[in-house]
Amino acid sequence: MDLNKTTLFAAVKTRLNWLTQRQEVLAQNIANADTPRYRATDLKPFQFREILRQEKIQLNMDVTNASHQPGRRKRIRDFAEQTERHPFETSPNGNSVVLEEQMARMNETHTKHRLVTQLYKKHLAMIAQAVRSK
Amino acid sequence: MDDLLKTFAISGAGMRVQGERLRVISQNIANADSLPQDPNGKPYRRQTVTFRNELDRAIGLDTVRVNKVRPDMSEFGKRYEPSHPAADADGYVLTPNVNRLVEMTDMREAQRSYEANLSVIKSSRSMLMSTIDILR
Repeated sequence: MDLNKTTLFAAVKTRLNWLTQRQEVLAQNIANADTPRYRATDLKPFQFREILRQEKIQLNMDVTNASHQPGRRKRIRDFAEQTERHPFETSPNGNSVVLEEQMARMNETHTKHRLVTQLYKKHLAMIAQAVRSK
Repeated sequence: MDDLLKTFAISGAGMRVQGERLRVISQNIANADSLPQDPNGKPYRRQTVTFRNELDRAIGLDTVRVNKVRPDMSEFGKRYEPSHPAADADGYVLTPNVNRLVEMTDMREAQRSYEANLSVIKSSRSMLMSTIDILR
């Protein structure tokens, strides 16, 4: 049985990837909270169709010769980022990171990550239960 | 490298630049009374620090670095003190262009940013732990 073909496990995997990447983006924003002209970015909201997306289609082309064009060099599990168009406030040096807002988002990401990992564990326990009780 | 481990590198860079900023601030405050030695000398000039966004090639992500520590070229203060060895003909001594209030506010801001980076690390760590907990 391939666990990744089970709907919930595939969904959990995609969701965790999204949450991890978001945490990365938020960490960048917070680290650059005092960098002049830095614009805060965030991931595009997670949508249901991300779960349905087939990852195999996104494979990068392999390069066998140094003079070949590498094609699209993108990490396979990347989700789209966007710069905030209407930030809550922009400081005089052109930095649009609002620390409180970023902290709130980070907490949200944290909670959701916890939820998803707990869901995964629960599902696994249910399978184990089904296997055990003959 | 795992993505959550990358956030450690990013936040670590953030904490490092805030530490550097605190160093410059403490230097300014410590020298807030460094007067010149003779009438032609200059008192301590306030230093300012700026940051910039830079790509870290090892992890392939944008982190933050200290751009440059530059002197603040604003005017020096003046104090009437004819008995001072560095006083000019009118009895004025040049004082450093350090404003303690500004430095203290700056220090608070650096502290706040440092704490924010620290809590990112804590949050990433506990996320990593809950992922590892799946194994159990």
